[in-house]
Amino acid sequence: MTDCLLSARGIAKSFDQNRVLHGVDFDISAGQVVALLGENGAGKSTFVNILSGALPRDGGTIRWGGEETVFRDTRSALDAGIIHIHQELSLISSLSVMENLFIGDYMTGRSGLIDRKALAARARELLARVGAGHIDPRVEAGSLSTAEQQIVEIAKALARNARLLILDEPTASLTPHEAEALFAIVRDLRAHGVAIIFISHRFDEVFAISDRVVVLRDGRVVGDRPVAETTRAGIIADMTGRAFTFDALETPVIAEDAPVRLKADAIADKGRVGPVSFALRKGEILGIFGLVGAGRTELLELLCGLRPLAGGTITRPDGVVPRSSTEAWRSGLALLPEGRKTNGILPSLSLAENVAVAKRQKSGGVLDLGAEKSLFARFHEALGIVCSGPGQPIRRLSGGNQQKVIFARCLASEPDILFLDEPTHGVDVRTKADIYKQIQDLAKKGMSVVFVSSELPEVLALASTVMVLSRGRQTLLAANRGLTENDVLTAAFAQA
Amino acid sequence: MNAESVVRFVRTRREATVLAMLVLVFIGLTFASEFFLTGRNLSNVARQISVVGIVALGQALVIIAGGIDLSVGSVIGLSAVTAAIVSATTGMPSLGIAGAIGIGMAIGFANGVLITKLRINPFITTLGTLSIARGAALLITNGNPQRFDNWAAFLGYGKIGDIPVQFILLVVLTILVWLFATRTRWGRNVYAVGDNARAARLAGIDVAKTRILVFTVSGSLAGLGGLLLGGMLTNANPNLGLGYELDVIAAVILGGVALSGGRGSIGGVVIGAALIGLLRNAFVLLNVSGYWQTITIGLVVILAVGADSLNRRSEED
Ligand SMILES: Nc1ncnc2c1ncn2[C@@H]1O[C@H](COP(=O)(O)OP(=O)(O)OP(=O)(O)O)[C@@H](O)[C@H]1O
Ligand SMILES: [Mg+2]
Repeated sequence: MTDCLLSARGIAKSFDQNRVLHGVDFDISAGQVVALLGENGAGKSTFVNILSGALPRDGGTIRWGGEETVFRDTRSALDAGIIHIHQELSLISSLSVMENLFIGDYMTGRSGLIDRKALAARARELLARVGAGHIDPRVEAGSLSTAEQQIVEIAKALARNARLLILDEPTASLTPHEAEALFAIVRDLRAHGVAIIFISHRFDEVFAISDRVVVLRDGRVVGDRPVAETTRAGIIADMTGRAFTFDALETPVIAEDAPVRLKADAIADKGRVGPVSFALRKGEILGIFGLVGAGRTELLELLCGLRPLAGGTITRPDGVVPRSSTEAWRSGLALLPEGRKTNGILPSLSLAENVAVAKRQKSGGVLDLGAEKSLFARFHEALGIVCSGPGQPIRRLSGGNQQKVIFARCLASEPDILFLDEPTHGVDVRTKADIYKQIQDLAKKGMSVVFVSSELPEVLALASTVMVLSRGRQTLLAANRGLTENDVLTAAFAQA
Repeated sequence: MNAESVVRFVRTRREATVLAMLVLVFIGLTFASEFFLTGRNLSNVARQISVVGIVALGQALVIIAGGIDLSVGSVIGLSAVTAAIVSATTGMPSLGIAGAIGIGMAIGFANGVLITKLRINPFITTLGTLSIARGAALLITNGNPQRFDNWAAFLGYGKIGDIPVQFILLVVLTILVWLFATRTRWGRNVYAVGDNARAARLAGIDVAKTRILVFTVSGSLAGLGGLLLGGMLTNANPNLGLGYELDVIAAVILGGVALSGGRGSIGGVVIGAALIGLLRNAFVLLNVSGYWQTITIGLVVILAVGADSLNRRSEED
């Protein structure tokens, strides 16, 4: 192809002994949106990291605008117009939003000094363009929520003159509404001739915005077709290497007389969320839906004692109301937090340790490292974690696999109530189904689960009871029988 | 700013706590000693603050970029004797000034290169150069103090009116470094690198160059500090600046700079240096044993940092 903007041939990459990419061929032209799909650990992030100069490659060639090129570092790729929004958020939290938008040059004028007024004005423009006009460009980026940071990342791409935009799971922490806003931007960029590589585990998004679908499996391209010629089932078969069907989930019915595990009565914090009331029964799965900023994470933190209660009461049968997360874990609660990189993983520690921190295995007063390894082995198998062994540091794992390890940590403590904040963030279809199945099995055995999700189908498929928050207020609490997407969305947008 | 935001500002900014301490000590001394508010004493205080403050400006940049520079005390000693020897042997005091700042710059640059290219940890690298620079100062002087009283020394001992020249230098440098840190590309990159080096690299920032730059600035300012200190005493002792790095780091921390990098204000650093200078003066005026001075400075650092992290605990972990 001659009209190719970027053309990669035979890209190979190994980490130590582990061959991650085995000769990947990939083309993209200007004004094209290509979806890059594959299971967790298939090599998607590694491949795009090589394109954007973030990782060196071991073999293969890259032609950029027809000329053979080597991007030795991010700088040279950026200068060529390759903008990569990484899977893990990478804003500088101590710099202001506007400095992040123009990081590296900050629009310095001829004087060499930064004109903060001009910078703020330009930042406001960009933020408004991505529908985030409410964000004050002068605040520290670290004070924004995960979703707001994601939006700033996208605005950052607009600040540069992108010719190729790489989005690695950009919607994982966005609500459908915000994702729609992002797609509008993507379509606009495409119309202006920008090429876009889009990595996602959400098929409806893939069908909605991409022109071509490329599927990676174990570091090889196994499918490359126009989107019109693909089907959901076909893609899944390519990704997994076999035909794959979902077992339809049946939402468990909770007996009216099942014991109450936790009762919240008009609880509230200092202004972000509340009043919220509900009773969680044994074996119940409570799904909490809401737009970003609705106060879902805050509610979980309130329930787990991470956030001080400003009003209302929490009652549990044993009378323990945790006031810190140590107390929470000790009293049989477990929390899988949102934002795995900042709140979840212990990056340099081994996989076994990342699981065992929740429940140290001891014998005779000292840690039993063997037992910790076998604890890990149990989940390794059950959750299908792709790794080289229990001793591998967790930061070496792909994003989705890290998420599975943190999920394993929560299960390892054998909690009465499991709190999950976006549990399937960045997890591929097959694993998602596995995690749903696990959650349901645990609930059948009597564990109660409270989960927050921005994926509506997930909430409706998994929850036995659905709660919706809108701007901190509870706008819906109903058994998941006959609830439609429309009911839930109406409640989510309700101006309570 | 309304009253509420003022209170919030004081509660959440360490430099505000330190400024409050500074004002308290100042008022206390005004009443406790009749000599305190005399022009002569105040100009002594200004001198005491100057060298710590100037060296702390560079140290602050290093710490904001996520590093630490332990070598500054030794660089002070080495640059003081360099200034004395070079100006004596060439007969040109201006070369002495260049020599003092140049040797500091060279050591700072070497620190930066070792840290970024050989990937030696900053603590270890500068612990090494601390030893090397002190040893070099002793070696070239054979351990003997050098006379240093030409016009280059004037920068250290001189006054314009009642105001010490070094204090004027401190004010000018503070403004320059503050502008650099808040308003220039490189300055903001220093914060970015200290906050999250990986993210900074992915955003196209040259992390290694940024680090080399801050160490070079720190070394140069320590070189200037040596020149001033030697000049003030009109005598360059190879042991000058022994243990100085601790005062300098204390001033930076008192000024609200996070040891973990990414955060801190230049104005705060000068306030920190001023508090340390004022405390030292207090002990002299009140005739309290110098040993208490050392203990008090330690307590003040712990108190200031403790008060500030109590106020912010919930955000940190
Ligand atoms: N820095 C690293 N060191 C060692 N191994 C790594 C490193 N980065 C990735 N890997 C390995 O490379 C493989 C591919 O990882 P990659 O992140 O590209 O997957 P992915 O397709 O993006 O998955 P996900 O959907 O979970 O994000 C994984 O098995 C992972 O363990
Ligand atoms: Mg990935």
